Amino acid sequence: MKLGWQNWFQEKRFAAQWERAKEAAQSTPMADYYNDLLSTDQHLKDAPLVALDFESDGLEENAQLLEAGWAAVEGCAVKLSSARRLRIRAESKLQGSAVVIHRITDDAAAEGQSEQDVLLALLADFKGTAIIAHAAFIEQSFLNAACLRCFGVPFVGRFICTMRLEDRWFPKDRAADGLRLGKLRAQYGLPYYRAHDGLTDALACAELFLAQCARGQAENLLVEDVLMRA
Amino acid sequence: MFLRRHAPFDALSADVVSALARKIEVRYFPRETMIIDAGKENHALGIVRSGAVELRLGGTELNHRLGEGGVFGYPSLLHHERTRNQVIAHEDSLIYQLPKPDFLALLDSHEMLRGFFAKDEAERLRLAVEGLRRSEAGHGEAAMIAVKLGSLMRRNEVVTASPDDSISDAAKLMARADVSTLPLTDQGRLLGIITDKDLRRRVLGKDVPLDEPVSRVMTQDPITMSLEDDLLSAMLIMSQHNIHHLPIVNDTEKIVGVISSSDLLNRFGMNALQVVAEIEAAGDAAAVARAARRVDAVLAHLIESGVDADHVARFVSNIGEATHRQLLKLGEQQLGPPPVPYALVVFGSLARQEQAGGSDQDNGFILDDGYDEQAHGAYFERLATFLCDGLNSAGYIYCPGDIMATNNKWRQPLEAWKEHYRNWIDRPDPENVLNTTIFFDMRCVAGEEALVESLRKQIFAWSSANSIFLSFIARAAAHTKVPLGFFRNFLLQHDEKEGDVLDLKHQAIAPVVDIARVYALALGLSEVNSQERLKKAAELDELSEEAVLDIVDSFEFIRSVRFRHQSEQIRQGAAPTNNLSPALLSRFEREHLKDAFRVIRDHMDIVGRKYAGNIQ
Repeated sequence: MKLGWQNWFQEKRFAAQWERAKEAAQSTPMADYYNDLLSTDQHLKDAPLVALDFESDGLEENAQLLEAGWAAVEGCAVKLSSARRLRIRAESKLQGSAVVIHRITDDAAAEGQSEQDVLLALLADFKGTAIIAHAAFIEQSFLNAACLRCFGVPFVGRFICTMRLEDRWFPKDRAADGLRLGKLRAQYGLPYYRAHDGLTDALACAELFLAQCARGQAENLLVEDVLMRA
Repeated sequence: MFLRRHAPFDALSADVVSALARKIEVRYFPRETMIIDAGKENHALGIVRSGAVELRLGGTELNHRLGEGGVFGYPSLLHHERTRNQVIAHEDSLIYQLPKPDFLALLDSHEMLRGFFAKDEAERLRLAVEGLRRSEAGHGEAAMIAVKLGSLMRRNEVVTASPDDSISDAAKLMARADVSTLPLTDQGRLLGIITDKDLRRRVLGKDVPLDEPVSRVMTQDPITMSLEDDLLSAMLIMSQHNIHHLPIVNDTEKIVGVISSSDLLNRFGMNALQVVAEIEAAGDAAAVARAARRVDAVLAHLIESGVDADHVARFVSNIGEATHRQLLKLGEQQLGPPPVPYALVVFGSLARQEQAGGSDQDNGFILDDGYDEQAHGAYFERLATFLCDGLNSAGYIYCPGDIMATNNKWRQPLEAWKEHYRNWIDRPDPENVLNTTIFFDMRCVAGEEALVESLRKQIFAWSSANSIFLSFIARAAAHTKVPLGFFRNFLLQHDEKEGDVLDLKHQAIAPVVDIARVYALALGLSEVNSQERLKKAAELDELSEEAVLDIVDSFEFIRSVRFRHQSEQIRQGAAPTNNLSPALLSRFEREHLKDAFRVIRDHMDIVGRKYAGNIQ
């Protein structure tokens, strides 16, 4: 599964990005996140992973995030005890840039939390993990944009993309929507989930990942075998 | 939410279920992969979220499949043991796992869940018994229990005559139609039956004029069966009553045919009927012994044909009973008719119709109160000796406890018998109480049934009224050691010691018999068979239908294990015993025996609580 020099090159580039971001995060709320990095030569079944899904009002990089759902995946199991679903208070984009300055404290719970608070909760859970998402580059760009927006620091992290993984491990001709989450899940005999919220989609993605690993002999896989490459 | 749609979680409040959901770990198992391996530690309750899993019971071919919402893996959690069943993903499956501590905590705080999981243990046992029957029926002949009499009937019109016809006309009709049995009907309703043998014995042999109506010599109101009855029941009736023809009637009691023992013999060859017939045709004790010793072959044959333990026991008992009857008949022929009426009473497993291979004899004579020792003593002593020696030669060895009619103590007039029982009941000896319980399972197999009935009515009236006596019996019953720990050790150590045996009769079968007997004594039941006693107790609301089903299933399972091992011993030319080396038990048997022992243990406790309450 290893790609030799390509992996080496990508890892070099990742390390450089990581170091730059870590530097920028010093004395910001993101500093702690950059204290811990998952090593890529670790066995996948031992690695702390977390599945993530954002709900947003669009797909462009600066779309408004509405909800984040995530759950830990450890030892080839989804731990529902770690499952979180946090609503993000919807604000206009103009106001959005002011979130850092205006801390809103009243009836936040009913309407959701500030983007910053949600990010802080999320970063605490994501420290030292790899993030699993379906079409992970979207979650990656959302996270990066949100962190820049809130803390002025880019988000760098390890990502696992269940969509790319499927295409890489089980390449074949597919219909245009053949790599959609629901379609892939059906192929693995996973149940149909109707509700579309952040947590349900994160769990749906986590389960798909377990199924893919089960097919791909997870026993012997290393983290680097499943990471999304740029 | 998924959990709230499925038992037993659907009975919990939404809050409890969401808290529960937070404990769950989700895993994915592709088709054919192992979810739980047998004999390992188990750490979690499994719930099928999607897909299907297969429980391979004790590593046998007997499988149980669970679909969405199915729950598995809890027996090992409940009992803190290693797993007994393999669980394999039958399809690609998403499995929810609830960690053991969370599962146990949940049970602690929700009583009804405990009920759900406990009940399911009995359910599993039932499934196992059914599976066993199916698998046994699967090889060799079709299970007799599954064959309906309807399928054996020839479809041509049944030949009948009227009871008012002359004997001569009836005989001619039989000859013309080439039948050996003629049902006698009035407007389709069966009033009697006459056979070749009847013509010989009741007509020609007795010089009855042939122009007499056939009703004079017919068997009135014969036993009938329906098309829906199974072959096994028909054989049982025939062997019980030593009859060779059974009229078959439809729903409206209209005769549709006659089935003969030779129809059944043709179909199933060597069997209990044949042996009973041979015993009853035997001209001397040696011939009786020769025929009776074939009981082992019958047992092995029945087991191999997939007959369930209860029916096997009844057939074996019928052979035992026939042996007793025939020996007594031969004895009387030799010694002359008895000077006063008497009854041959049997005790224990034969009385309960629960006999297995390798049984000893337990019998006595109840003599009419007109008995005079001076005048009649020698006759009955000689008759008893003839009987007990004959039984011993026939394979029913002398009773080690000397409960035999040859023992003067058990060859007494009715009043003396009553006195014995009166003593046991009024002054129960705690040391001795278990040794006397066998006398409370009694049945008349020959002679004056009224003597046995009179005794039974009397002692059951005494016993049900005497709570002290009952409490002694119940306490003794509750103290039997069911070998629960035996298996655990065996399972964990995997080093069965030489000479370490399981005594199925005393450790597993006797407790069920004891439980049934306590109910029979407490309620004054006339039933002797354990299952019948329990069912009757349920009818009287002394225990639930469900409890009876559980006990009966356990009883059936244990006995089927015993019979299967006895049949194996017989096949290898050894005498059947009740002692089993645990090494001979399959994993399936071992695991389900444990279930059965648990059910029995629970019911022993219930009996103890119910009736043994007023003594220490």
